[in-house]
Amino acid sequence: MTMLFHDSLALAPAQNFVAAERRTRSLLIVGIGLQVALALPSLTAFFVDDRLINDISVWIKPLKFQASLVLMLGTLLVLLPLIDVRTRTGRGVWLASLMAVITASGEIFYITLQAARGRASHFNVGSPAEAIAYNVMGAGAALLVLSSLVIGLYILLRPRPDAPIGLRLGGGWGLVLGSVATLFTAFALGSGQIDGPGHWVGGVRTDLGGLPLFGWSRSGGDLRVPHFFATHIMQALPLLGLSLDRFAARFARPGIVIGALVCLAVVGATFIQAVQGYPLL
Amino acid sequence: MSPDTVFSTTSSTAMAGWLLLILAPRWPALIGFIRCGLIGALSLTYAVLIFVYFFRVEGGGFGSIAEVRTLFLDDPVLVAGWVHYLAFDLFIGTWIAVEADRRGYNRLLQAPMLVATFMFGPLGLLLFFITRASEMALTARKA
Repeated sequence: MTMLFHDSLALAPAQNFVAAERRTRSLLIVGIGLQVALALPSLTAFFVDDRLINDISVWIKPLKFQASLVLMLGTLLVLLPLIDVRTRTGRGVWLASLMAVITASGEIFYITLQAARGRASHFNVGSPAEAIAYNVMGAGAALLVLSSLVIGLYILLRPRPDAPIGLRLGGGWGLVLGSVATLFTAFALGSGQIDGPGHWVGGVRTDLGGLPLFGWSRSGGDLRVPHFFATHIMQALPLLGLSLDRFAARFARPGIVIGALVCLAVVGATFIQAVQGYPLL
Repeated sequence: MSPDTVFSTTSSTAMAGWLLLILAPRWPALIGFIRCGLIGALSLTYAVLIFVYFFRVEGGGFGSIAEVRTLFLDDPVLVAGWVHYLAFDLFIGTWIAVEADRRGYNRLLQAPMLVATFMFGPLGLLLFFITRASEMALTARKA
């Protein structure tokens, strides 16, 4: 009996770690669940609702954002174990995860609600409420990106001692560079300084006949292209790190450096291409 | 009491329940109060409305759109229908809150599901069902 009692005492801090980690993971998992929960009715509505925005179904945008946010929160969830256990179960990681989930959910709720109302969510300042909502969404999106930047910094600065080097560098730098590049492209996209409000630069201002799946303009520049590549650095570099660890562990470090440079070059090149009014393809 | 009074009284009662559910701490006594006190009162109101007014409506019934429309053209029965929404939505909301607490969902993430249930009943329930299914799928894989 005494033995048991002492055992449980010794186990107590470890159990706290487990509970704290479960709390953070549960946040991200429930956040992912919310996105999926909105995606299912949105997908069904896509087939029965004939309302259009920019000549395509109102439900395309919520579906793209739902998919993208599942991917983003999922990336955080998968990369979390790379952080040292003490840090990972601490307040900072929890707060960054909470921030990511809250802003992602707020954003997707507004985008889905606007689709249901048959109204645009982005660049829509048609009514005072929508103008406020669009600004709040901008602030929320910035906070969402900053929270993944924070997680990335944690991975780089407080890694788990035995974390595989490629995944650690790929995950950390992927989140950091992805966040910075996303902030930059989103700011250029949202400012409306490049050829007026909207994601188009020149070309026909419609989403009809865009690139399959993505909807990017084929008649002119589209600022969503660099924004897409910037955001998905957050997945590309960790995946590169994972495969380097598996197939070429010796080259993990230089591999990630080269990969990061390539990613930034792609974002830069597609950005210049879009600003000059050329379609990606 | 006029249908207008019943409408506004029951709506305020339900609103109070939702505010408590979304904002207040989840004390067992409070949950009990929402369940038995508020939802109980709404259900009692519904029952009385049905007892008194439902069977008076000529040509009313559940068999066709026309019959249902005839029912809802009658103000007391329309209010009864509204109270039905209020009572059942709040009941479902309370169940979601209790179940979400048990599963350890953060209160800030419960709020949108509860608001959706408050506004559009089954939509909120669907959100909770799918969220829970996703959560179970993701945690089961880990364990």
